[in-house]
Amino acid sequence: MINIENLTVKYGGVIALDHLTLCITDDVVGLIGPNGAGKTTMTNAFSGFAPITAGHVVVDGMNLLALSPHKRACWGLARSFQKVQIADDLTVADHLRAVCDAKGIRQRDRTSQINHALDFTGIADCADMPGADLNPYQKRMTEIAKCLIGAPRIILLDEPGGGLSEAEMQDLRRIITQIKARFGAQIIMVDHDVDLIRDVCASTAVLDFGKLIAFGPTREVLQDEAVKTAYLGR
Amino acid sequence: MTKSIIPPLIFFALCLIGLPLVLSALWVKVVTSAAIFALAAAGISVLFAQLGLINLAQIALVGVGGWIALRLNYGTALPVTLIIAIAGIATSVIGAALALPALRMRGLYLALVTLMAAGAFQILFNAFQFPNGGEGFWGVARQSAADLRPPLMVQSDAGYLRYTIVITALCFGLVALHRVTAPGRAWAMIRQSEANAMAAGINVTFYKIWAFALSGLLAGVAGGLLSTALGQLDARSFLASEGILLFALAVVGGAYSWVGAVIAGVLYKLLPALLNDFGVSADIALVIFGAALLHAIMTAPRGIAGQLSGALQRKPA
Ligand SMILES: Nc1ncnc2c1ncn2[C@@H]1O[C@H](COP(=O)(O)OP(=O)(O)OP(=O)(O)O)[C@@H](O)[C@H]1O
Ligand SMILES: [Mg+2]
Repeated sequence: MINIENLTVKYGGVIALDHLTLCITDDVVGLIGPNGAGKTTMTNAFSGFAPITAGHVVVDGMNLLALSPHKRACWGLARSFQKVQIADDLTVADHLRAVCDAKGIRQRDRTSQINHALDFTGIADCADMPGADLNPYQKRMTEIAKCLIGAPRIILLDEPGGGLSEAEMQDLRRIITQIKARFGAQIIMVDHDVDLIRDVCASTAVLDFGKLIAFGPTREVLQDEAVKTAYLGR
Repeated sequence: MTKSIIPPLIFFALCLIGLPLVLSALWVKVVTSAAIFALAAAGISVLFAQLGLINLAQIALVGVGGWIALRLNYGTALPVTLIIAIAGIATSVIGAALALPALRMRGLYLALVTLMAAGAFQILFNAFQFPNGGEGFWGVARQSAADLRPPLMVQSDAGYLRYTIVITALCFGLVALHRVTAPGRAWAMIRQSEANAMAAGINVTFYKIWAFALSGLLAGVAGGLLSTALGQLDARSFLASEGILLFALAVVGGAYSWVGAVIAGVLYKLLPALLNDFGVSADIALVIFGAALLHAIMTAPRGIAGQLSGALQRKPA
């Protein structure tokens, strides 16, 4: 369970998150809103990359904000970035090894964890390819595979569907819906693709100008008038 | 990976066997110095290539390692190889401590901090001089220097060149090992972005300090080797400006491979000696370095080593 209480982030005069209060229990939860609504800011606040001025984030009883960023990751917070972060000169497998190193995963468990993550995301074939040679889909999948190493508790996915083709989106749907069962992590997914959100998210939160304007079962939220004017009816 | 260790192994083996045979007494000393400064340059390259950090204090750290080694050589009966190892480790701790204020800075600001550190060491070296067998903590005698013990089994300058090549090769191996294990992977993630590294659970501070410590270790070992090679160190060899020069040469040589560090050592010590030998003022070397640096900045960001490997790869097999 993820408990967000009064979370506020300010960039100078811009209030990017405004007293956000939210309790998340579903396995896959969507986070939507127009450009600049504060979605990435929320994932950054979880990770420790945003200037938080007030509030708490408590996940499974752990006060996340008390930990330094890398400790949060080692505790079980995993994330992907809106702009993919794949190092050109590291192979796919080395990206996963780097996560194993950081999380102190023992040598004998490494191979099985890495293979599991590679097989699950369907990129076992490019395990030895350097980041520079990957296509955008393989890069996305490498980012997701990184999130699956070392028993994650929550995974934040910031626009995982950005720039993917229709066929690739189908793979992504399958992967996201199976993560909870296969790896045990709860997922918060930011995306602009309403079809993707509708298909995979049990509940959805909507942000606008840093404020929560709706939260509930995805189907109901997407019917909400305020949501339609703020977001869907653009 | 296994393939890529063969060329350096062949290179070092050839140097080890060949150089002491073909070089005259004078050139054995010059090449020994070149190898030692190649080692120091390798430390600069680790920071620059792995993390984009500029360290202008490497020569000062070579001085620190040299100071520690001289002090231990005069003051204790420890074997010289152990002394060099201690100088390396102690300098690595000092290098890591230098990194602390620098952790939040990069680019020009970090360069300035390291330059100020180098300036501070320059003043210290000038004020206290290097130990030469005297009494007291600073160990400086007013008379000429006492003799240093050489390493066990090393009887000649040619032998010391071999000894230096072996230690340099071992240290290059240590750097190579870092690149293919956890520190190398962590550094690559940090290069991509610090947020990316932290989100993967990597302790960015720790791995930055680790890089400074490795770089300091190489400087300290170089200083230890240098002190025994020369028998005496002179504060004028460790000016802050020398640190800038060695950094520039590490970039000119190419910070991304071990070849670049070798080229930097050769340029730093061998080229001025060659010019001298031709009857040209060694200061011309500075002009050549300046031109080479401009060349590197404008056309060859991976340095001469990068251009060489590019040329080799283009050649049909
Ligand atoms: N590092 C920053 N410095 C200053 N302002 C920022 C920073 N990051 C975000 N902001 C501001 O915070 C607000 C929220 O931005 P955020 O990136 O969270 O939006 P988003 O919902 O992710 O939008 P998008 O759909 O375009 O990704 C915006 O007004 C943005 O300009
Ligand atoms: Mg965003």
